[in-house]
Amino acid sequence: MSSTLTLANFAWKNVWRRRLRTCLTLCGIGMGIGAFVALVGFSRGFEHAWLQLYESTGTDIAVVQKTFMNTTVDESADQTILRVPGVAQVSPMLLNMMDVTADVNALVYGLHANSFEFGPFTVSPGRIFREGQPEVMLGSLLADSLNKKPGDTLEIQGATFTVVGVYHGGSALEAGAVVMPITQLQRLASLEGKATAIHVRLKPPAPGESADQRMHNAQRAIEAALPGLRAVPAAERASNNQLVALAHAAAWGTSAIALLVGALGIANTMAMSVFERTREIGVLRALGWTGRRVMTLILVEAGGLGLGGGVLGILGGWVALRVLAAVPKTASIVTTSLAFSTLADALGVAVLVGLAAGFVPAWRASRLLPVEAMRYE
Amino acid sequence: MSESRLEVRDLRKSYEAGQIKALEGVDLAIGAGEFVSISGPSGSGKSTLLNLLGGLDVPTSGDVLYKQKKLGSEVDLDTYRAQHVGFVFQAFYLLPSLRAIENVQVPWVGRRSAGGVRADKAEALLRELDMGHRLHQYPGQLSAGERQRVAIARSLANDPEVLLADEPTGNLDSANSSKIMELLVGLQVKRNMTLIIVTHEDSIAGSAPRHIRMRDGRTVP
Repeated sequence: MSSTLTLANFAWKNVWRRRLRTCLTLCGIGMGIGAFVALVGFSRGFEHAWLQLYESTGTDIAVVQKTFMNTTVDESADQTILRVPGVAQVSPMLLNMMDVTADVNALVYGLHANSFEFGPFTVSPGRIFREGQPEVMLGSLLADSLNKKPGDTLEIQGATFTVVGVYHGGSALEAGAVVMPITQLQRLASLEGKATAIHVRLKPPAPGESADQRMHNAQRAIEAALPGLRAVPAAERASNNQLVALAHAAAWGTSAIALLVGALGIANTMAMSVFERTREIGVLRALGWTGRRVMTLILVEAGGLGLGGGVLGILGGWVALRVLAAVPKTASIVTTSLAFSTLADALGVAVLVGLAAGFVPAWRASRLLPVEAMRYE
Repeated sequence: MSESRLEVRDLRKSYEAGQIKALEGVDLAIGAGEFVSISGPSGSGKSTLLNLLGGLDVPTSGDVLYKQKKLGSEVDLDTYRAQHVGFVFQAFYLLPSLRAIENVQVPWVGRRSAGGVRADKAEALLRELDMGHRLHQYPGQLSAGERQRVAIARSLANDPEVLLADEPTGNLDSANSSKIMELLVGLQVKRNMTLIIVTHEDSIAGSAPRHIRMRDGRTVP
């Protein structure tokens, strides 16, 4: 039996004295962290899928509007971009999210049939759609989910399309998506002549030119040729496009509210604990504990509650992501893998929330005069 | 008398904006290795004096000196309590969630010293007080006399030069009272500590070589 009393096991014994209250507090902070893990994990998965999308298609630059709310550019800008030195290929892309059945919605991409973005995909069974025709290709995940194969029809926004192929490869976003001729999607979305972005593939760097220089030079040249538009490196575009930015903002905002509720739980628990242990804290001071040591003990207890809640929350968040990944409405844009950074953030946030919530009770405990605390009834 | 270890000069303590005067000008000097009892009726100021001697409270006016240095200004109160003085209380004040051997280590928790050494020293202290067979019991599993022995072991954790005991036998029956007093006096001699006991029991007060009586916040001849 270990007989050594350390600050950590002293804190643990204090917290564990009120088991029910501790468990309820852990559940409170766990729910906050669970929401954080699920929502932030979801939004980061979404961002990662976007990055994969650009990487898999070989897109180097996305040309988009400068303003946040204006989400489309004129498709005709592609010809101007194509004339910029260093640009090898361009591909206008229109993106939307639409209902493909009563229960399932999916991302819908509009592309030209000869787009370089089909490069990494294998279409089997079936073929690529014909330019301008009411034909669609389905990502393998969506095809499975809808139980569709080439020759079947699919109704989108009241228009009927023929499924001509099922494609494989690419990101989770693409595997759960519909791809159709850009002119068809422009008509469906009433965005004739418009594209969400024009994707650009660059030529290999000239001798003596680095990849960064090549990227920088092309960006400057495109923006000079098309004032009002922005040429964004693909990796950057993945993290700051409107959909990802909104997903991040919603995830952090919702998580913050849930975390606040959890923090209030810890603050209440620690305030009650200090209140109930006032005399004990006086005894500790009488035994030579400084105010700082008392404060450290209370903060270790609060931080420990945050950490425990964080671990619970990560498990809960992971289960929530598994559930979201199994639900047809969200399956196409949810990945169940949790990035290490999300887990580290969750634990960091949990401990910080615990420490912040425990600070005031800890500070008050550290200010108690020994004799006053010991007289406390 | 031997060299002065603790001294108080014109010590006064009042509460509630001066409405209640607990001490009204006490002067006292207590030597190193001395055993002193303080007695008096309830409200005479004996526990207030002990609290001020132990640095648990601060005086309204006057000074407490430890080795000729003023507590609170020349000697930091936290350091004084942590390194030079030990307390034994009537109500024991053991922490209920800790075993006996852990309670003895409480003064060291959060300080830089080897954990293994701490546990060994705590065990040695408990064995010295005939508590070797109760090392891993919780306070709730101990008798009142045993609890006070654990509390005394805890008070010795920092090898104090001054041991202050506030009614140490107040919650014990007469048999246990005698044993605890024998123990305290034995430790005082063995460790050459200054022992100051506050008590309302004449037999205990009279057993000390020096007996201070208090009434209405003052010492009386």
